[in-house]
Amino acid sequence: MNSLFLVRAVAFNSFSESVRNRFFTLFAVFAFTAVYASVLAGVMAVDQESRVLADFGLALIELTALAYALFGASSALLKEAETKTIYLVFSRPVPRWAYLAGKLGGALLTAGLMLLIMAAMHLSLLAFRGFGPPPFYAWALAGTFLKLAVIVSFAFFVSLFSTSAVSTLVISSIMWTLGHFASEARFLAERLPGLKGTAVSVFLWLIPNLQLFNARDAAGAAAAPGPAVLLPAAAWVAASFLGSLWLLSRKEF
Amino acid sequence: MYNYLRDTTLAAALLAWAAGGFLARGYASPFPPPSEMRVPAAGAAGDMLALASGSRRLFADLWFIRLLQYYGSREFHGEEEAGNGEHRHGEHENYGAGDYPLFFPMARHVLEVDPAFTAAGLYGAACLAFNMQRGEEARALISFALGYNPKEWKYLTMLAAIGYSRSGNAAAVAETIAPILKDPDCPVMLKQLAAFLNKKAGNYAAAAAIYADIAATSRDEAYVKNAVKELKKLAGTRLPPRGGSRR
Repeated sequence: MNSLFLVRAVAFNSFSESVRNRFFTLFAVFAFTAVYASVLAGVMAVDQESRVLADFGLALIELTALAYALFGASSALLKEAETKTIYLVFSRPVPRWAYLAGKLGGALLTAGLMLLIMAAMHLSLLAFRGFGPPPFYAWALAGTFLKLAVIVSFAFFVSLFSTSAVSTLVISSIMWTLGHFASEARFLAERLPGLKGTAVSVFLWLIPNLQLFNARDAAGAAAAPGPAVLLPAAAWVAASFLGSLWLLSRKEF
Repeated sequence: MYNYLRDTTLAAALLAWAAGGFLARGYASPFPPPSEMRVPAAGAAGDMLALASGSRRLFADLWFIRLLQYYGSREFHGEEEAGNGEHRHGEHENYGAGDYPLFFPMARHVLEVDPAFTAAGLYGAACLAFNMQRGEEARALISFALGYNPKEWKYLTMLAAIGYSRSGNAAAVAETIAPILKDPDCPVMLKQLAAFLNKKAGNYAAAAAIYADIAATSRDEAYVKNAVKELKKLAGTRLPPRGGSRR
């Protein structure tokens, strides 16, 4: 019970720090401006304006939230180590897992809030143009959140062994890209002969398939994601968390 | 003891990661594999970005806009123009006619990126079959789309309409595509075509209903203006009984 209280305290502290950060406002303004710019694209599509507006907005929401969440995740632990705040935390009876869980929870809360704010802006924009929310909207947002959860927890893991926030950002972005390519890469691996194909297939098993959560792309497709996708997401988040905990436990504070 | 716990954490992390891969193994992509994608040279980078960022729908939209712009560019053979430079949408017989050699590959590419973009499939097939008289390409486009959307009745209906158009049966084409017109996602161009075919077949009441629908729902000003104009014309026409003559 006490540990859970600690997790909550770290999470809310981390969350309020993120929300107070001026970058948050900056990204919110940027997202709103960008979504508004999508109106132009909507006008060009004439009949398909509502579809274009929805797709453009959802993609921008995801990319903006990703940029902010990755920036936060890659610098959170590094900043605390540089400013020696982490020593202050660990000088108290705070278990490392509770600290890490709190930090991850704070980052996910921030990402969730960002998604909700931008979604509200986007839906207002759609309503302003005379359109309702597309039927898959809530799923698309949930899928985006799951993708963010996987990649943010992975960024936490990387930040514990990388030398700078920039390298964490780069490595996590590569993982993001590979995650979306997973299905295509698997298709190509199946066509590779012999050992090469097996080696690539094994390697691809290590890449989290982010297409699983890509509800905004699968909106009209025959196989829209179901609630079962929560399990792999939970497994990847847990794996990154445990990996981070392992790295954190090897550090001397 | 501490080292043991640390090693256990690492083992649990690896196990959880592998479990994630195992749980995701059953995922079958609903999208065409890379071998099906015939990317126009100028669009390869865009397609890479679409796949890398998981934004197939968005890039399919952009390809569709490109298709609209391409088809809207000047390659007119016999299309009349209004005095103010606007294209006339009234006379559908020549509307949109032309060679447009890239139309089929561009329309197919929209579906390669997002095969669930039904409106783009219908628009592409209708333009090919009814405006450019390229029924074979229209059928090829629909067949490709049906491969990823086998239960899409609108495609099947369109296939039937293409079949009727080969025999020059305007009334049958109009009648066949009528159910598609009720779909909120139906391309306005298809509605325009249906109205024209109904008018041609003498079904003035049906044509007027479709023009009224275009005037009330379309966001394309040119189509709306034309629909209003046609409605005025039809109001001056003595309407024969609904059902008209079938050619």
